[in-house]
Amino acid sequence: MTETLTRYSEFLPQGAMYFYREKNIYCRYQYALKDPVDPALLQQAVDAALDAADYFKMKLVREKRDVYLVENDQPFTVSLGSQLKAMPEETGGYLFNVSCEGDTVYFDWFHFLADGHGVSRFLTRILMEYCNRRYGAGFDCPPLPSALAYDMDALVALDPTAGQERLPEIEPVQPEAGQLCRSMVRLDKQSLVDAALACGVKPVSALLGLLSLAMQPLVGRERVEYCYSTDTRRTLKVPDAFYNCVASFRYGVDAGPKVRLADIVPAIDADLKASLVPSTQLGQMAKMMNWVVRVDALKAPLKIKRRVFSMGEAMGNFPADFWISYLGDPLDPDRRYPAALLDYIRDFEVWVPPDGASVGYEVASLHGQLILCIQDKLGRAGLTEAIRAVCEREGVKVLSTAQMGPALPYQE
Amino acid sequence: MSRTEIIAQIVGILEDVAEISPDEVTEDSVLMDDLDLSSMEILTIVADLEETFGIRIPEKELRSFVTISDLADYLSARVG
Repeated sequence: MTETLTRYSEFLPQGAMYFYREKNIYCRYQYALKDPVDPALLQQAVDAALDAADYFKMKLVREKRDVYLVENDQPFTVSLGSQLKAMPEETGGYLFNVSCEGDTVYFDWFHFLADGHGVSRFLTRILMEYCNRRYGAGFDCPPLPSALAYDMDALVALDPTAGQERLPEIEPVQPEAGQLCRSMVRLDKQSLVDAALACGVKPVSALLGLLSLAMQPLVGRERVEYCYSTDTRRTLKVPDAFYNCVASFRYGVDAGPKVRLADIVPAIDADLKASLVPSTQLGQMAKMMNWVVRVDALKAPLKIKRRVFSMGEAMGNFPADFWISYLGDPLDPDRRYPAALLDYIRDFEVWVPPDGASVGYEVASLHGQLILCIQDKLGRAGLTEAIRAVCEREGVKVLSTAQMGPALPYQE
Repeated sequence: MSRTEIIAQIVGILEDVAEISPDEVTEDSVLMDDLDLSSMEILTIVADLEETFGIRIPEKELRSFVTISDLADYLSARVG
């Protein structure tokens, strides 16, 4: 017998892929509020949100030959400070953590538990419960619906590559290995929308084009490869899924020094729109999950399974020059929250390490800004200024750039 | 480590991962065609070889491993 996620099909079908990554992927959302945070009220808010969302009352149990999830009957404790903790080792078995310092609430979670779309409803509920207690906001807080797991067998049956046993004919991108550094760029959202409209494309396509142009001199070749995930909740008919629910795609673009945004963005936009077609999403997600299922079934030590999973992802063409996660509204991409909540949120940051890429862009939209939280392993300076130069050349207003220093502990 | 010892290690891992008898394996055996290995089995064998020899084999090398001899040549150059 070897370690397997015996209950993942019940609880966390897609999260298992984060269990098989060689490094745990810890994510951080942080919300700056308009006043210093009261830890006692935040504790009450988290307790109330947990009562409304049983899904997050889970703990990971590791036994000699088994790994599984069970209900966590221990109270969750809000911590003070901004330190990212190891989950579940330093969080009482919980796969998430909530802490506060000054005016900022830090939400950290193990990607195994949920993706950004899924976790945001829970985090937003905590903020609503907090604002009710701190400001008497009066937000209605009914139990949060939680979708059951989708039918894994039915999904995997849609894998268009099932039965193809040959190793794919690809040349994997080798991500750079420099020390991970954090930086931020803030863009004026309206100017990006205007630039996109001028090209007849989606704003996210314009952003992909701008980042490809900025990255090209740094990757040292004309072709820039990028990856992103598309949310598949609606396609799978599980809109209330907290768990990971995405199809990931990789595309590339030739972005040489004389190339302008208008030259490349129509093709980027066409690829993006193709990746949003439900049948394409299902096929891609089936391919990804079929690989997870096959690795899970391997009779091998966990270390071997993790390495096999990693090689499979590389041969599946996933490593790229950059990864982009376009969150949209960080409170809930579907905007299922009271608009007045925004009055209490001053700022937002999101920090996720680039897994399988040299650079990771986490992009959120708040108060008219596009906030780009960047983690890069390029090992050379100049990325933020390259973004600034390309954006200004293409008429997109850069509000600020900042170097934030090294990666957070556990995200290196 | 000699090439003969490296091949013996490969054959042992083949037996563990894919239950292939050492008698069926020659240096010229083609992994996918002659030994009928799946892509998953090949990756598992490579991961086992990495553990055995304490090395990391870049993914870009994987497609060049067509026969047992290809694997042995690569490992001989790295650990021989």
